[in-house]
Amino acid sequence: MSDHVREITEADYEREVVGAGQPVVLDFFSTECPPCEALAPKFEAVAGQFAGKVRFLKVFRQGNRELATRLGVTGSPTLIFFGPDGRERGERLGGEEIKRTAIKAQVEALIT
Amino acid sequence: MTTKYDLIIVGAGPAGLAAAIYAARARLRTLVLDESVAGGQVKTTHKVSNYPGFPEDIKGTDLAKAFATQAERFGATIRRAIEITAHDFSGPVKTIELDEEETVEAPAVIVATGARPRDLGIPGESKYKGRGISYCATCDGAYFEGKDIHVIGGGNSAVEESLFLTRFARSVTIIHQFDHFQAEAATTEEALHNPKIEVIWDSEPRAFTGEGGLQALTIENVKTRKTTDLKTDGVFVFIGYVPRTDLVKGVVALNKWGYVETAEDMSTPVPGLYVAGDIRAKSFRQITTAVADGTIAALAAQKYVKQAVANVAA
Repeated sequence: MSDHVREITEADYEREVVGAGQPVVLDFFSTECPPCEALAPKFEAVAGQFAGKVRFLKVFRQGNRELATRLGVTGSPTLIFFGPDGRERGERLGGEEIKRTAIKAQVEALIT
Repeated sequence: MTTKYDLIIVGAGPAGLAAAIYAARARLRTLVLDESVAGGQVKTTHKVSNYPGFPEDIKGTDLAKAFATQAERFGATIRRAIEITAHDFSGPVKTIELDEEETVEAPAVIVATGARPRDLGIPGESKYKGRGISYCATCDGAYFEGKDIHVIGGGNSAVEESLFLTRFARSVTIIHQFDHFQAEAATTEEALHNPKIEVIWDSEPRAFTGEGGLQALTIENVKTRKTTDLKTDGVFVFIGYVPRTDLVKGVVALNKWGYVETAEDMSTPVPGLYVAGDIRAKSFRQITTAVADGTIAALAAQKYVKQAVANVAA
């Protein structure tokens, strides 16, 4: 995994996401999910661009069902964006068609 | 920074990778670009039963990886998860900008970008995408363990993927607009005998609703015009595909369904620009027909590139 993306579990959610004190992008991923494989390098590239300003996290859906259910996530990959106040912002991105430029645009909106 | 190739193939599905195998073996410096990982629609197909050479079912993801490995073995470069941010296919040298940071060029390009799943275009669909509505059974099936779900469609994908979804779901109800499936007879029989699968015929979805996540699906019987609300835990949509023509729109003509018309050798009216696979106007779209298109396009492009090189030298 890259230096800029960390994997968390549902036990870390309150601390790492809600209480982050900075914008967060959270990626729900699964195994046997080619769109997730395709997203990973784009996610890491954008994470590198915003290192220090925005926290990029990923969570393995199969191991963290309760969190997925709580956030209403039913597909992989799903990207959720959070403001510094820990509240969800903007639109969720999902499926195979997530473009690097779309992630970047949403992240820029988080920090402005 | 600009890197030169003999042939650039856009799309790493069966058409693009078949083209890459032929081009690389012909010793063309071959670059394959894909915004995802290799495999196109095959990679998210849970099993493939009709591709010759595999007497047992093969997982779509394994077949996709095999195509890519074979192309790479002969020297084709496959770039995954890239985004094409600018391109110009009109001149003798075709250029493509990648991720706003580098440029690649070649005298010939094969566009094999295939097709994307068709949206229903009904109220609630975009709202509940990823919150109960899915287009990929292999990706999202496991989210619906023990749940009651619905599948929209009645072609091969819809029925095959419904069978796959019965591994997870408690029940799978297929909503189909006609009174019979369009899927292959073998698949249809299997589905109709599966105790977890029910079918509602002659019906189309009209809206998705729910608090927070998807909770209900409204359908209308197209014969009686009666509408019904169905409680659901999730809906999978397999109602066909739309061609991905963003790269060639305005450069070549599209037919009335949005597909690209080509000559028999996959060439377009633009010299050096070829089109192969599901994006092409044709009667049948199968893995085998995509592979055939890719082969033909690579052979035609090879001839074109050799001529282009000879002209430059002369």
